[in-house]
Amino acid sequence: MCGGASDLRDKWKEMNKEEQTILASKIGDNNMSKKYGFVIDLRKCTGCYGCQSSCKMENKVPMGVNRATVFIKDAGTFPENKRFFLPVLCNHCENPSCIKACPVPGATFKRADGTVLVDHDKCVGCGYCAAACPYGARFMNPATGKADKCTWCVHRLDAGLEEPACVRNCKGSARYFGDLNNPDSSVSRLIAESKDRIKVRKEEFGTKPQAFYIIDNRTKLDVE
Amino acid sequence: MMAKISRRNFIKFSSAVAAAAALGIDELDAFLVNLKLQSGNEKDVEGRFPGYDVKYTYDSYCPSECGLEVWTKGGKVEKIYGNYADPYNHGKMCGKGPLGCGLVYSTGRILHPMMRVGKRGEGKFKRVSWDEALNHITKKIVEIKKKYGGGESIIVDTGDMTDTQPYYRMAYGAIGSPHPVEHGSICDTPRRFGPKNFINGKRWEPDVMRPVLVRQPDGSLKELDYDSDLPLPKYIMYLGWNPFTATRIHWESRGTVSAALKGCKVIVVDPGMCNTAAWAANNNGEWVPIRPGTDNHFLGAILRYILEKGYEDKDFIAKQTKGFDEFEKEFKSYWNKTDSNGFKYFSLEWAEEKTTISKDKIRELAELIGKTKPGAVVWGMNGIGHRYAGYIASMLGTAINVVTGNFEAPGGVIDCNQVRISKDGYAGHFNGREVTRTVNGSVIKGKQGDLHMDEMSDWPAGWYDVVGDHPRRILEGVEIKYGPFKGYKYPIKARIEIGGNTVISGSSTWKWQEALTATDPKTGEYLLELNVHIDSIYLENSLYADIVLPAANYMERYGIADIYPSCAVAVLRDQVVKPLGEAKTQVEIMNAVAKALYDNGDKDVDPKDFWLKYKHDDVFWTEAIEVTPGVKNVGEPLPYPKLPKGYKLLGTPDSLEAGRVKIDHDKKVVQGEPITVDWLRKNQGVAVWPMAWRRYEQAVQSKSGKIEFVWSKMEHENERIKGGARPYGFELLEKYTGTKWDKYPTTFFWFDPPYNPASPRYSEMAKKYPLQIISARVHQGMTATYANPQQAETPSDSIWWPLNKEFEAEVADWVTEKNSIGMPQGTMKVAKKRFAKGTHCVGVCAVNSKDAESYGVKTGDVITIENMLGKTQKSVVLVTDTVRPGVLKMPFGGGGRFSPGAGTTYLQKDYTANINQLVDPNLLTPIFGFPGYLDILGRIIAVERPGLATI
Repeated sequence: MCGGASDLRDKWKEMNKEEQTILASKIGDNNMSKKYGFVIDLRKCTGCYGCQSSCKMENKVPMGVNRATVFIKDAGTFPENKRFFLPVLCNHCENPSCIKACPVPGATFKRADGTVLVDHDKCVGCGYCAAACPYGARFMNPATGKADKCTWCVHRLDAGLEEPACVRNCKGSARYFGDLNNPDSSVSRLIAESKDRIKVRKEEFGTKPQAFYIIDNRTKLDVE
Repeated sequence: MMAKISRRNFIKFSSAVAAAAALGIDELDAFLVNLKLQSGNEKDVEGRFPGYDVKYTYDSYCPSECGLEVWTKGGKVEKIYGNYADPYNHGKMCGKGPLGCGLVYSTGRILHPMMRVGKRGEGKFKRVSWDEALNHITKKIVEIKKKYGGGESIIVDTGDMTDTQPYYRMAYGAIGSPHPVEHGSICDTPRRFGPKNFINGKRWEPDVMRPVLVRQPDGSLKELDYDSDLPLPKYIMYLGWNPFTATRIHWESRGTVSAALKGCKVIVVDPGMCNTAAWAANNNGEWVPIRPGTDNHFLGAILRYILEKGYEDKDFIAKQTKGFDEFEKEFKSYWNKTDSNGFKYFSLEWAEEKTTISKDKIRELAELIGKTKPGAVVWGMNGIGHRYAGYIASMLGTAINVVTGNFEAPGGVIDCNQVRISKDGYAGHFNGREVTRTVNGSVIKGKQGDLHMDEMSDWPAGWYDVVGDHPRRILEGVEIKYGPFKGYKYPIKARIEIGGNTVISGSSTWKWQEALTATDPKTGEYLLELNVHIDSIYLENSLYADIVLPAANYMERYGIADIYPSCAVAVLRDQVVKPLGEAKTQVEIMNAVAKALYDNGDKDVDPKDFWLKYKHDDVFWTEAIEVTPGVKNVGEPLPYPKLPKGYKLLGTPDSLEAGRVKIDHDKKVVQGEPITVDWLRKNQGVAVWPMAWRRYEQAVQSKSGKIEFVWSKMEHENERIKGGARPYGFELLEKYTGTKWDKYPTTFFWFDPPYNPASPRYSEMAKKYPLQIISARVHQGMTATYANPQQAETPSDSIWWPLNKEFEAEVADWVTEKNSIGMPQGTMKVAKKRFAKGTHCVGVCAVNSKDAESYGVKTGDVITIENMLGKTQKSVVLVTDTVRPGVLKMPFGGGGRFSPGAGTTYLQKDYTANINQLVDPNLLTPIFGFPGYLDILGRIIAVERPGLATI
């Protein structure tokens, strides 16, 4: 992708800021220093749907489909009943089944920093990836006809804003994002501190989700 | 295309190029990826994302009014985040705020003035120019003033707006109306009863807003967050209050969650398992599913228990309160009275029978509240504030917080109205203008304000104005009963409503429609000769208007936030984008109306008071905040130890901090450099002054300066009505409850709630109408919200729920262009869109599963509900155990929406209920004249089975 150092330096000098940002995104492929992860502290989720709304606004996602949403599950009967909220998004799995299912090389790919992305220039819109995702995290965007999913707001990451829009706006501050390779990052510390309370969705699929949940009083995470 | 780069960023950019050129490839990789810039900085955004600009303003999509960081591109709103500089929401948003583009670019926007060509209610209009519209309005106003006496025949209702000051000035100063009203005149006045009487306050909330600036022992000012040692409540009891969804106080969400993580027990007393209750039950708190309308009984039993056990804070009561003994004596006088079921008033058994909450549970909670400090009892806007007997719950809640010593304690309860900034611009001085009227043949002189339609007539203690009674006033007129103009009668002939929708939400809907369309039998002309609606969205009120004027949307106008933080915070509403179409700002409309009146010969208008003075919105708002913050330098720790204690503070935080002040010892005022719109603009739109606790000299503004258990405000009202007419509300009280008043209560009082199975008076009615019909506010609440279909993708509280129906509608929605890598590209466009089943929420009626079984009702059915007056509404049903048995719960203003401007909600009007159609229009509370929105009995009289709602 990149030529030698001198080529890059020459290009860098000629590039405007927007081009530099895109280049920074590409170079992320070779960046081994970071591995991103996501933590949702369910004890702080108020079920407000701010994550869904922020994502729609940030990523221009049309009505009818969602990159991030909240599942609501009712259990039990009055007056002993409970209602649980489960915010969901793409898990950016360590072992993503969507990439294996994609028939076009490079149309869906995983960067070295752990971000699983779709390249709309290559995606043919076959939908295999969406069918292969056990979390229902992918969908076909009705406007573009391409596979669509949470990118962890990669455009923000690559511009140095390591805070997806849903994290930026979460009113309960229930969402955390950061570098799992950095033991001092908020996500690393929360995972270390929470130990037995940490869960991931549908562990049995072996995809190794990188979105982790700190559970509240519930015993089971998934609500589907 | 080269990026737009500021000088500061150009240096950064040049340095980056130089650094990059000097690096090896590996280092270059790292350098590029680790380009770290501070989040939320305007210049950084421009540098990172070429073409984007950042503006700071505040929201008005809901009344929380959160601080916003808005990114625009090409003059359009693109991105909406919370403003970190504003401690109110501290950089955060809920499920509404980020969807603001859907409202700004809604298909329901009013873009140009319109004049009615059909009958009122038909919604037939022709487009006219501003000049034509203003000429029509002001000619009519001048005519009405000449024909009927003056501006008192004209109501200006500023609806749901909060930056209302220019319209108040327009009403008082240009039109000469003594009674402009605001949202607070039709929202939850019973909730405020306790704070108003005890301290002349308004809004008690738990002390959980962080971060706050706190003076340190070394003299420095430090921002302290939830991780600090600042105490947080050990319990919070929310009654009929759902802060997680009904987001009026944004910080209450993060504050409640953070307090709970530190051990605070959160108890939510509510007939429905709202989001706050659901969360509490999963996080070591609990949901207490009380019978609707019996919070009074519940709190009464808790207060009695605390006093019987001697848990009250005697030292606090002795030092900070006045009249407690009289209050206690009156309260205790009930303890040996027996109700018709043989229970002693306020005993645990009595409360159990009324509330259906076990006496053991009530005892457990009373023990917690009586023995634990600090803590907070908080009652809500809808559940308590919209009830006829909400006064009593408000009084008891206030009393409990006081006797437990929690008022103004760290981690206790704060009256957020009393400690927030002052602002001006209401121009009430015009109400002091001398006017003359002929009363019974005599020419009488008085002040404009002496003609007030409520205070000087049927509602002498209606401090917040009485919008719920406006339909009757339109139909019957006004008779002045107090003051110099006693005996003077006048009709209501014109109404200008701005940003509100009283036809849906201003008490009983059908009564409003009746009043706005009533005609004089002799002439056939409308009794209300002029009806004007000024708004940004074409709602039901517009349908009844003679003239509709386009108002600037919240992203297009200016103002100062009307927020409730726990300390002084000022936030600027700045114009983010230019108004769409021909929409104008409040100041522009104020000036335009004033000038048109002047041009049409109205001599009340002085150009120097309007367009010659306020040549730009900034001038108006800068003048309005000359009195900011207006709080006293009091409390612990003292906010400004170098400035005189107890003096009123005026000016910017930085000038007060640096001592750049003038001190007036006579007036006890410290004047720093006056805060201005420009100052706010240079400081991310926000000014924050220090927090303190035990600010009694600021927070307690009663006549005696103490927290009053015997209310001087009510004693004052009793003086006013002595020997005069009996207030109208007293007649209604007797009719609905059997309780007789000859004067306003000045300390503890009680009456049973009307239309409630817990009242013996209604036990027979409850046999025929066994269901209590209640409404709740959800974060999709406020009527304009429904004009944004994007908001229908966020289910809430079992009353805003996905529809199991496919349909098509023309809506504004994002059309994605490219959003996989790099800045997402997309445009908001209006187009016909197909909505799949289960993707779009509507207002539903939540029915408990046991009731559903009894009535043979299933989720997705459409039921016909009949109220105690025989009025009916249809609603689609959600069967759920998140509402207690015996209750039908629906969203306030969420259904039956009959204006096409109400977006997709309009398409579902036939099977969604407007619960306000079921409100008894005469059930107006005895002091404030507030509608009993939640006091409805009903039954299900028909079930249809189209299968519309889904889980």
